[in-house]
Amino acid sequence: MTIPLHGFLQGDTIGLLILAEANDTVRGLASRLQRAASVRVAPRPDDRARVLYRGKPLDPDLTLAHAGIEPLDRFDVIFESE
Amino acid sequence: MPEREAFPELLSGGPWLPREAWAGWDEPFRTSYAEYVSAQSEKHAAVFAVRDAVGRLDDFARLDPAWVNGLKLHAATLPLAEFAAVVGNLRGARFGRDAAWRTMSALGALDELRHTEIPLQIMHELVRWEPQFDWTHKFYHTNNWVAVAGKHLVDEMLLGSNAIEFAVATHFVFETGFTNLQFVALASVARDAGDRMFEKMLASIQTDEARHAQIGRAVVEVVARHDREYVQFLLDKWFWRSFLFFAVVTGFTMDYLTPVKQRARSFKEFMNEWLVDQYLRSVDELGLARPWYWDTFVEALDTYHHMVYASAYTYRATTWFNFAMPGPEERAWLRRKYPRHWPAFDAVWAQIAARWREADVGNEWAVHGTVMVSLCDTCQLVLCGGTPGRNTANVLEAGGRRYVFCSEPCRWIFERERERYGDHKNIVSRILAGEAPANLIALLQRYFDLWPDTWGKDVFGGDYPWLERPPKPGPAR
Repeated sequence: MTIPLHGFLQGDTIGLLILAEANDTVRGLASRLQRAASVRVAPRPDDRARVLYRGKPLDPDLTLAHAGIEPLDRFDVIFESE
Repeated sequence: MPEREAFPELLSGGPWLPREAWAGWDEPFRTSYAEYVSAQSEKHAAVFAVRDAVGRLDDFARLDPAWVNGLKLHAATLPLAEFAAVVGNLRGARFGRDAAWRTMSALGALDELRHTEIPLQIMHELVRWEPQFDWTHKFYHTNNWVAVAGKHLVDEMLLGSNAIEFAVATHFVFETGFTNLQFVALASVARDAGDRMFEKMLASIQTDEARHAQIGRAVVEVVARHDREYVQFLLDKWFWRSFLFFAVVTGFTMDYLTPVKQRARSFKEFMNEWLVDQYLRSVDELGLARPWYWDTFVEALDTYHHMVYASAYTYRATTWFNFAMPGPEERAWLRRKYPRHWPAFDAVWAQIAARWREADVGNEWAVHGTVMVSLCDTCQLVLCGGTPGRNTANVLEAGGRRYVFCSEPCRWIFERERERYGDHKNIVSRILAGEAPANLIALLQRYFDLWPDTWGKDVFGGDYPWLERPPKPGPAR
């Protein structure tokens, strides 16, 4: 099932509509947002990315369905300090 | 006929007050119809005398190419919004609660008709030079995302409001406050940019705005005596909505599309000079308060139009005008003017420049976003609130739907009048519902009516003297 989500990448100037799949992993979601925003924000290594959902970090190996992410929710991708 | 039937609350506005409550209604800018016609005739002749002298196609062709695109932005958003304001003024001319108010509104409607006609006439000649100028008339007739945002604002403020809300929103907030920025500050920028035609047009319009804007304060004074909370709500609502509109239209032009050597002041400095002090003084004199979100507004003066411009640059094909990429000189100027937040934006422009460095000149799509963006359910604009470090977008679940807002003030406006806004579908909702194409090119052509000769590009096709491209490897031997 396709889940449209509002994604916000740290360092970016705009929220993007990401069309994810329920069986995508949280790590995959972060990667997808980085690629979508790459014209404005240089991609960083995926292993530094953290997905925040309702203010809390998500386990990167969870699927979106297991994480309880619902259509048109907001998620953020932030980075650990390098 | 009973007064309540002659002036129903639905059209005259609330709180509905008996005639005695309006007895003290007073606006200082008095004129007779004969004086009005005489003055307007002279002003109109002066505009077209300037057009004949310095406003022909050859004169525009000599202007800086980035500035010309600021002109396209204004040309599209201005004239038919003024035409909508004819309707709003005519509502005041019929349903305003004092005879002087009605007379002034009738003259205001004639003003707005003039403000429609001038840009349409002047820009019409430019269409054969540059087809994007066709959007001067076309803009509000399209489903372009900026046009939908413009219509969402203009339709409510100018077409759908009752006489009281129109007077507060348009005459007090928009005309008394924001049009100083547009018609005085921007006119001076136009002069510095060498665009005497645009300067003259703005200055001529401003003399009308200054007159009929007087209706606003007089209405606010009376209504505030009876329902202060309602007036405060209207002021706060329309101040925010007006700010977002001007931040895009005027902010882009002042800080990005004016040649850097001709920039005397920044958008933020002009806002502080022409709007903030004057607006705060006015509300204070009326015993009203600054908007509850004032700190958010002050922060947004530093950030909002930068957030939108960088985003829109990377989605420029979705607009009808071209964008300039700020180079080292422009970025140094912006850093001086916006020291607190510019480093975060500079990183974005460094990445965009890096993408152009890898791309061939004119390969626009190599430096363009392809993923759909999200849009605010109040202002209909992109989710560009806050900073690159912390976007202020937020989601609301209500009535079985999910809504998203760029900022707390947009959410507050929506929640206060959900019955007014709740059923509207932004472009993204239309795409998700299958009512608009999801494919970007199809969306541009079939829904936004933008084609390769009209959709927005980089003004220089990415060919900037400061942008050195690595040498390409020669053919293999």
